Order: sequence, then C-alpha cells, then structure tokens
Amino acid sequence: MNSPEPVRAELATFLALVVFMLISLGLGFVANWVGRSRTGFLKSYFLGNRSLGAFAVALTAAVMSGGTFMGFPSLVYKYGWVVGLWICSYMVVPVTVLGVLGKRIGQLARRTGAITLPDFFRERFESPMLGLITSVLVLFFLTTNLVAQFKAGGVILKLTLPQSIQRAVGAEAPAGSGADRMAAISKAESDGEPPKPAATAAAKSNNFSDRAYVLGLVFFAVTVIIYTTYGGFLAAIWTDVFQSLVMAVGVMILFPLAYLAAGGIGEGTAAGIAQTRDPSFAFGPGATRAFHPIGLAVSFFVMWAISAMGQPSTLVRLMAFRDTRTLRWSIIYLTLYNLVIYIPLIFIFICARKVLPNLTVSDEVMPRMVMTLANPYIAGLILAAPFGAVMSTVSGWLLIISSGLVRDIYQRFLRPQASEKEIERASYAGTVFVGVFVGILALNPPELLQLIVVFSSSGMAASFLAPAAYGAFWRRANGLGMIAAMVTGAGVTLALYAVGMVWSADGYDSGIGAGGKFAPVYLLGLDPCVWGISLSFLAGAVVSLMTNPPREALVQRMFEKDRPLHLHS
Amino acid sequence: MPPSNSPPPSEDPVYVNSLKDARFGIAFWAIATTFVCVSAYLMGYQREGRALTAEQINPILGIPAWFFWSVLVPWVACSFVCVVYAGLIMTDDDLGTDHTEELEQDIREGTDVHELA
Repeated sequence: MNSPEPVRAELATFLALVVFMLISLGLGFVANWVGRSRTGFLKSYFLGNRSLGAFAVALTAAVMSGGTFMGFPSLVYKYGWVVGLWICSYMVVPVTVLGVLGKRIGQLARRTGAITLPDFFRERFESPMLGLITSVLVLFFLTTNLVAQFKAGGVILKLTLPQSIQRAVGAEAPAGSGADRMAAISKAESDGEPPKPAATAAAKSNNFSDRAYVLGLVFFAVTVIIYTTYGGFLAAIWTDVFQSLVMAVGVMILFPLAYLAAGGIGEGTAAGIAQTRDPSFAFGPGATRAFHPIGLAVSFFVMWAISAMGQPSTLVRLMAFRDTRTLRWSIIYLTLYNLVIYIPLIFIFICARKVLPNLTVSDEVMPRMVMTLANPYIAGLILAAPFGAVMSTVSGWLLIISSGLVRDIYQRFLRPQASEKEIERASYAGTVFVGVFVGILALNPPELLQLIVVFSSSGMAASFLAPAAYGAFWRRANGLGMIAAMVTGAGVTLALYAVGMVWSADGYDSGIGAGGKFAPVYLLGLDPCVWGISLSFLAGAVVSLMTNPPREALVQRMFEKDRPLHLHS
Repeated sequence: MPPSNSPPPSEDPVYVNSLKDARFGIAFWAIATTFVCVSAYLMGYQREGRALTAEQINPILGIPAWFFWSVLVPWVACSFVCVVYAGLIMTDDDLGTDHTEELEQDIREGTDVHELA
C-alpha cells in the first residue's frame, strides 16, 4: 500500500480550498451582475427570476450533500454491499423528486406570485397562520442545520490551514498525519460533529477557545456571507453546480484507479469478508451488524425518493425552474448523473477493502483512498469538492432563511409599504445578519443541536411534503388541515428521535441501523420518516374533511385554467 | 390521496397532465421499491434457516449475484424508463402568467389576506 504524503496532500488540499473559495466569490459577483439586468429585486435575488436551466435544477435539487458524499463511502467500507441497497432508491429519484410535484409547484408558484415557501403555502391556502408556521419551522430547522454546517466548514479549514499560519495566530498545530487530519475533515463534513478522538487529536476543542478553529470559521463565514449576500440565489446555485461537476469528475478518475489497485471488485469483496470475518459483507443486512434489515430498506426508498420532495430547498427550486422543457431535461440529466456517480462509488469503496485493509476508523476511507490513488493536486481538488458542497448548502439555506425574514416577516407584517430599494437593503442586511448570527452560534454550539440536525431532514419532509402534495392535487384541502399535517409530521418525527435518544442514554440499542446516541426508535422496524410522513398525510386529510372547505373562488383559481383575475378579488 | 369533489368543467390542462405525471411517478416508485426490496430479500439476505456463505456469492463481473439482479439491473432499467418518460412521454405545458408583481402590489396595498385567525 502506498502511504499518503501528508505535507504535499495538505498543501494541495488547502490550495484547492482557496481556489474553491475564490471561484465562489467570483460566481457571487457574476451572479450579482446578471441579476442586476432583471426587473423585480425579490424574485431575482431569492428565486433567480424563475429562470433556472435544466443543468442547474438537476444538479442542485436532489443531489447528495457533501456530508453524505463523504459519509457514504465510510458505510460501504464498513458494512459492505448492502449499502448499495441503502442508496439505490436514487434510481427513481429523478422522476419522484422532480416529476411528481415539479410541474404543478412551478405553475402554482407563478399563479400565486409566491417567491418563498411560506409565501407559497399562505397564498395557496389563503392562510396567513399556515404561512407563519411554515416560516417558524423553516427558520428553526435550517438555522440549527446551518450552525452544524458552519462548524463543519470551520473545522475543515482549520485542519487544512498550513502550520505556519496556525503558528502565526498562536494556535497549537494539529497532531496526526495528513490522512488522520483528512479523516477528521471527512467526519466534519459527514455530520457536523467533532471527529472521534480515535480518529485524530486535531479536531479537539472546536470552540471559541481554539484559535485555529476560530480562524477557520471566520474565513469560511466571511467568504460564504460575502458571495451569498452579493450574488443571491444564482450564486448559491452556480457554486452547487460547480461542486457537483467536480465530484463527478473525481469519481470517474477514482473508479479505474481503485479497480486496478484492488485487482477487481471480487477481490474487494473477498477482502471485506476476510477482514470482517462475516460473509454478510457480501449480503444483507450487512457485515458485523444488522445495518440495513429489510424494513429499513423499504424505509430508505421513502427517505431518499419521497421525503426529498418535501425539503424546502427542493420546493424552492421547483418554484424557480424556467419552463416544463427545462424540467424534463433536468430529469434526464439527474438520471444520468446518479447513474455515473453512485454505482461507481459503491464499487470504489468495496475495492477499498483490498487497497486499504483493516482501517480502524472507516471515516478515513474516502480521503485515504483519494490520497493513496491520485496525484496530490488532483486529490486536493477531489477533496475540496465536498467542501464546496458544504459552502453551497450553506449559501442556499442562508437565502431561504433570509428570504423568510425579509418577505414573510419584515414585508408582510412590519413594513408592507416598503419600497423596492428598502426591500433590497433589507435583503442584504438579512442575509448578513443570519450569517453572522449563525457564525456566532457556531463558536460554541450546544450538544442538543446535533439531535435537531439529525432529525431535521426527516422532520422537514414530514412537515412540508403533505401540504405541498395536497396543495398541488386536492381541491378539498384547507389551511387548518395543512397546519395539522405540518404539526403532526414534525411532532411524530421529533418524538421518535427524542425517545430514541433518551433510551440510548440508558444503554438501549435497537440492533439495527448505524446505532449511536442519536439513533431514533424504529417503530415496527421502519424509519421515523415513514411514520412522520404517513401520519402527516392522514392528519391533513382528516382535519381538512372535518372543517370548512376552501372558498370556491380559491379552488377555481388554483385548479382551473389561468385567468387574468386579480389575486384576492 | 383522498377523492376530490366533483371536477369543474374547465379543468386546467397543466393540472391534468401534472396528475398523470404524479400517478406515474408514485406507481413507478412503488414498483421499483417492491421489486428491489423483495428480490434483494429473497436472493441476498441472511435469514433464519438460510445462512448465506461466501460460496453463494455467485459473482457476475465480480458483483454478488443478488446485487447484480436486485440493484444494478433495476437501476439501469429505471434510468432507461426515467429518460424515456421525461424525453418522450411527459408533455410540455405553459405554466401561465407569473403573478409575482401582482402579489407585491397586493402586499403594498394591504389587499392580500393577512388576518391570522
């Protein structure tokens, strides 16, 4: 096995991150320049003027985040072939996530004039209360998630800072080899948690008392806040597209290298069975632990292919695509992208068992494989791609939050008569305010935050999917029913995670899934997202049917041919 | 989805086509989920009374047979269906007038719906 070369790899990675940050800043300025030529500031700044092209929609609406991109290889290495089943619902994601609701959400967003998710629900159901609850839920979920993402960004930069810079700020240089430090990066990107002590000592004390972490966090926050504030939605989208392309190129480079180094996929499988001493490395439910029993296999078809439809970031993109031809082509592009990304990733990290046997910390496998097999500078670029994904995720969420503050609270409740210039200033200020606020929280994030981060993806889907689907297709749905759907979805999912956390503290382990202190309760062997989404749909239907139907004029406006009538007449 | 009330006479074609896409998408997802999970469970899962060993991998191009038939082949087949559906079957529709400016005006004039109750 070739040892990674720590110094060269670290320098290359740091240079690649700097290049990424500079490109992101450049994209922000270009996006601002492009946006200035358009009319209607809010629609341009927060929604890219509803002009997203097929490539942008495909690569930003439903592609893995940087965290999953880094965490997925670790799961393949650890549990074996069954992880392919864990991810394989991506085979239908293009049609479910973009096709099921896409056209109708795009149409209703135009028909209602909505530019934010709360706007959309409020206008579709004529329910300001529903809009307000949506705003509160979006703010809650995304702000807590943002803290974790900021922390991940800060940790990554801290770990890749050249030691000369660390010494200049009086920070203790991190211990461990280059690969150890990259493993810590992998961990940080995977879930925003500090790396495990066994992985490295480099990531310890990621809080305000750690000068290198503070420096990394400041670099990260300043860069993201500047390009997001200046460039708006288009800057967030373009950086997302850029990192997705780099990830794809990275996978295509790695696959033949891994295949040749291992001597074939079968060699990787044999090595995995020998090292885990468990033939389940080649079968379900996975090596050494029942990682993916069949109930969870069904659940993950819901998790990836269905719940992704209800994520705010997905719904906002469905409000922003240019036309239905764009939507169709984005389904085709996403189909091809998923095919060339995920299947090779499975093969690469099965082969990793042969190339890098017996890694004690599986989180190391992605950076170690890259640094072992690729030229250091190409390795730096590949490893910088997930960092770019963290940046683009952050910028997209920053805008969703600031749009909620500006449109749904400032303009709707505080200053309805605000001029366009005032709204423009408020939007810039709102984006900076949210970024700085989250950056300050990330200096010392509370432990409980990790629970919210873990639960929030399922929680958001359980909150917003039923209202979006009912809004698109059910005439009888009303505001009260959708409030019930949101509250039930969020409540059920949170309850299953909270109970799981309490039981885990007492030493309970369900024996399935990846385990850990934030593992939820798998009721009847199913993931909480299945229960949250199902009960959300049920609550929405029951409460809608038990309460007054929506106004006939509203139903006509949403379900009949578009007519040039005034929205609220 | 619960049944709707009696459909209005001038039903929106975008709504009608979207409903077709949604029905196709959900049916497609259900078929894929059922096929993949059932076949994977039958061919590739350790179960009581059926312990699988390394000799039963039966590799195809180095890939365990259960994975090849339950994940890889369906993935390629689903990708083909996605491309054909989006490229040849999904219709192009006019998404209509964008009322963003109108909503802006309503908010400024206070004529949007704004009572919380």
